[in-house]
Amino acid sequence: MQHRGNENCMAVRILLVDDHPIVRQGLRTLLQGRGDWEVVGEASDGMEAVEKVESLQPDVVVLDVTMPRMNGLEACRLIQQKHKDAGLEVLFVTQHDSPQMMREALDAGARGYVVKSNAARDLLEAVESVSQHRVFTALARSPQASG
Amino acid sequence: MKLRILLADDHEIVRRGLCALLQKHEGWEICGEASDGREAIEMAKRLKPDVVIVDIGMPSLNGLDTTRQLMQYDPQFKVIVLTITDSDQVIREALDAGARGFVLKSDAARDLVSAVEALQSKRMFFTPRVNDLVLAGFLDKGHVVARNEPPNLPTLTVREREITQLLAEGKSSKEVATLLNLSTKTVETHRSNIMRKLSLHSIRDLVVYAIKNNIIQIQMPTQIHSAAETPVA
Repeated sequence: MQHRGNENCMAVRILLVDDHPIVRQGLRTLLQGRGDWEVVGEASDGMEAVEKVESLQPDVVVLDVTMPRMNGLEACRLIQQKHKDAGLEVLFVTQHDSPQMMREALDAGARGYVVKSNAARDLLEAVESVSQHRVFTALARSPQASG
Repeated sequence: MKLRILLADDHEIVRRGLCALLQKHEGWEICGEASDGREAIEMAKRLKPDVVIVDIGMPSLNGLDTTRQLMQYDPQFKVIVLTITDSDQVIREALDAGARGFVLKSDAARDLVSAVEALQSKRMFFTPRVNDLVLAGFLDKGHVVARNEPPNLPTLTVREREITQLLAEGKSSKEVATLLNLSTKTVETHRSNIMRKLSLHSIRDLVVYAIKNNIIQIQMPTQIHSAAETPVA
């Protein structure tokens, strides 16, 4: 895979985006078990996410859907418009446990979709998959990864 | 001796965040984690924590009824309610239930440590919004709190509220009976009493009642096609 920050360093650089700091903290705690992954920054809404993608150049953006100022779908579209060819991937972690929302997220350019209630179960596998440019989608009952 | 805290939230990701936040405090330890209200009550009775932190919107038994049952079991329990909304009704219900702390989830990273510290010092902790409401009620000699309530609202028992939530979540009488260790016939009797007390005629009516009265919380469909005006969740 291509790592945008440093071609020689294999660390996956991750940006966390959620309007609740306590959720970001929870995500960070889950991810810190992986020594080869690095949380490079956090954002609390879609606008801030778009800005931080520019400045931090992460490999994976972990993105909530429902946020103030700019929602995650809109942010995802903007991020993909600008960075589609750079290898950046978006993984949604959201409370919306619905196939329709998942479809919208994938249509917006996301590579992965995880439901918040199952994030502890699915997050690591999802980040692993999307960082290797493989699709990972998991509604509440059944995780699915595909190439 | 460390202050022992029990966490109850149905999202493990939130519990992880809360744990990380609270464990930074040397004198505190997380003695247990529960993923719904029923489990929280069982753990609280067994572990006897110094502070219980409960999310309002939990399945099976919501945080308000969890608080009510805990206070009924032992009024010495110190409960902090975590919520995504600070509407007047939710605030009043949390206070009525016996919560000694009220923290918005969105502000938990900022306020929760202060809230636990307050309870540790035998004080209460409320967000500014709650303080305003309580003060307004005090200045108005208590009339503000009652002013917006519908008159003569029928009161459900603790058991009836439990059953209302489970039925509104879509469980059958048989499933409710299994969950609460009751006979199906007993649940059916409670169900009839609930419908009669509330003048409801269908499960649909019951679901609407449960939503309006914060017994269950639903995920509203949100307008997500536009970047503007997205609600906080």
